[in-house]
Amino acid sequence: MFASIVSYGLAVGAVYALIGITYNVMFSASRVFSFTAGMLGMLGGVLGALFIGKMGMPVIVGFVLVLACGAVLGLVTEILTVRPVLKSIEQHLYVLSTLAFALMVQQLVAIEWSTEPQPFPRLIPIGPGWLDQQFWLPVLACAATILGLELLYRKTLIGRAFLAIAEDSYAARALGLPETRLRLASYALAGVIGALAGFTGAEMLLAFIGNQAILNFYGFVPVALGGMGSNRGAVVGGLALGLFQQAANYFFGGIFAAVAVFVVFIVVLLLRPEGLAGAASARRV
Amino acid sequence: MSITRRQVLAGSAVSAASLASGLASPAIAQSEPIKVGYLPALTGPSSSTGVGINRGVQLGVEAINAAGGVNGRKIELVSRDTQSDPTKAVNAVAELTQRQKVALIFGPVNSGEALAATPLIARDKVPMLHPCWVDELIDVKKYPMAYRIAPTNTQIGGGANYYVVDVLKVKKVAVISDTTGYGTASVNTYVPMLKAKGAEVVYQNHIDAANPDLKPELLRMQAAGAQVIMPWSVNAGFLSRICNTRGAMGWDVPIVGQTTLGSGQTKALLEKPEYWNKVYSNNFRQVCYVNGKLLPKAEEFVERLKKAKIEFSDTLLWWVALGWDSAYLMADTFKAAGTKNDDVVAYMNKIKDRPGIYGTVTWTPEQHNGFPDSEVVMCEVNSLKDGAFNVAPGYST
Repeated sequence: MFASIVSYGLAVGAVYALIGITYNVMFSASRVFSFTAGMLGMLGGVLGALFIGKMGMPVIVGFVLVLACGAVLGLVTEILTVRPVLKSIEQHLYVLSTLAFALMVQQLVAIEWSTEPQPFPRLIPIGPGWLDQQFWLPVLACAATILGLELLYRKTLIGRAFLAIAEDSYAARALGLPETRLRLASYALAGVIGALAGFTGAEMLLAFIGNQAILNFYGFVPVALGGMGSNRGAVVGGLALGLFQQAANYFFGGIFAAVAVFVVFIVVLLLRPEGLAGAASARRV
Repeated sequence: MSITRRQVLAGSAVSAASLASGLASPAIAQSEPIKVGYLPALTGPSSSTGVGINRGVQLGVEAINAAGGVNGRKIELVSRDTQSDPTKAVNAVAELTQRQKVALIFGPVNSGEALAATPLIARDKVPMLHPCWVDELIDVKKYPMAYRIAPTNTQIGGGANYYVVDVLKVKKVAVISDTTGYGTASVNTYVPMLKAKGAEVVYQNHIDAANPDLKPELLRMQAAGAQVIMPWSVNAGFLSRICNTRGAMGWDVPIVGQTTLGSGQTKALLEKPEYWNKVYSNNFRQVCYVNGKLLPKAEEFVERLKKAKIEFSDTLLWWVALGWDSAYLMADTFKAAGTKNDDVVAYMNKIKDRPGIYGTVTWTPEQHNGFPDSEVVMCEVNSLKDGAFNVAPGYST
């Protein structure tokens, strides 16, 4: 029982964490909560199954193509659904524009792909059992992503530029940083991370359009738990959510497992509205 | 005022034209096609049923028209794809009943669209024939012109319960569903039916279909002493996970439930082909193999379909047969009763033991559910051939 909770909990949690990071990367660059994060995750699985499973492409080619598609969709998201509403961000129109775009893509996938879940190919022929890719691949992807982002933000100039935009976009622009191009790059990066989440989690979650709504919601929970904009918080929140969800699945079962997750989520937000890893924001008066 | 010769000639011409058109109209009515409204879901998320049924309906109507039609009149299907969308079905109903003035509507073929469309078809007083399973779609008081050419959900659950309790002789049952309306309603309806048959429901739950790990659920069922699993869901991912988990646990209990258990989508998600063994899904006696053979008329129908090059790889025999039976039932009705709605209803109310490829139909003024319980059976899901399955083991032939 313990082994099952840990294996499934960490794997699902890593997917949630990656979707949480996708939200964060887009949020940091634009102050927009783009509800295309779940769509990117769903597409990671569907496109992976299409390229590798149906079209028979080599795994590495299919993988790179999936990430490239994620990047392109990230760019399209920024241009079509975020940029036009940035001027009136206080009206929160981005909720509608990003959600509408995500739903359009989902409908397109339903028509062109299938509304039924489809199998995702086993990429590495080890298992079944503990060594099955469905358990360790999402965790590996999550670890690589958080490490890569830390290196990007701390060691590279472009990473520091991202941080500057996230900290204060007006000041960054005044210093001559190309805000629009940096925002575009952030959305492309988010697209890659979202697609990576879906691709690595698809053997477990299947290639299924229904994953969009699930990932949109459960991917948002680690962001809220970990603190908005905090990638480390998203990882801790995502893994904790996955483990708690699987434990609740064992101890309560059925729909009560989902209820238990929501109860904890609400309690945490009541006690720490800024999230477990977030700092309460100070306002200069 | 004087009347000129020109005015007299013009008036005569108009009168002659009116007379001619008046005399000619019955002759035209006698030969013009009989319009049948048809609401299949040919695209969209729930279209696999509609695509299958459509092959039978089109083939049936072609055969009827090729044989001279109905009393010399062709049947014209006025088809509107509902795209699996209740809103589109509702819009199509308005067009079919008010503009096209159809004699009867066949469909919608999915329950979601039928729930939206049926009250409107009833309001416009057009006879309706449909194959949807939701019990509430037939109510002779609310929808006196609606007829069902298929079993109800209650009959589907009853067929599965009968197989578990009376054929497999199993008493300890685990009943689960996903959290959809269909799943929860099915469990809430079928569990009391099982208990009434003397079964002990040792485990009952509604489960989030997105949960990738169903082992905890199956362990609880096992600990409760379940001898059979009855899952009610149309989610192939959920159903395949149940089969995969049972297989991985090496737990050798039968799984008995809804038709999606035997779908190609479920099969595609199995980790090993043998995880589909001892899985039994709903089907219909007349289109199942018994001892490796179909009934003669089903066999003949399959041969006809093969000759007509009807595709089988992505559909089921009972869907195609249902479409075929519906086309002939409508044609026979028009032949015997004409196309006036009251006459159609009066005729359909008296149909008794009408044999079909898919099933037998009996309707009365008080009961418009026409499918017999005895023809709802379970089949072996891993035996698919030419769109049909072996009847599950244990039934007496």
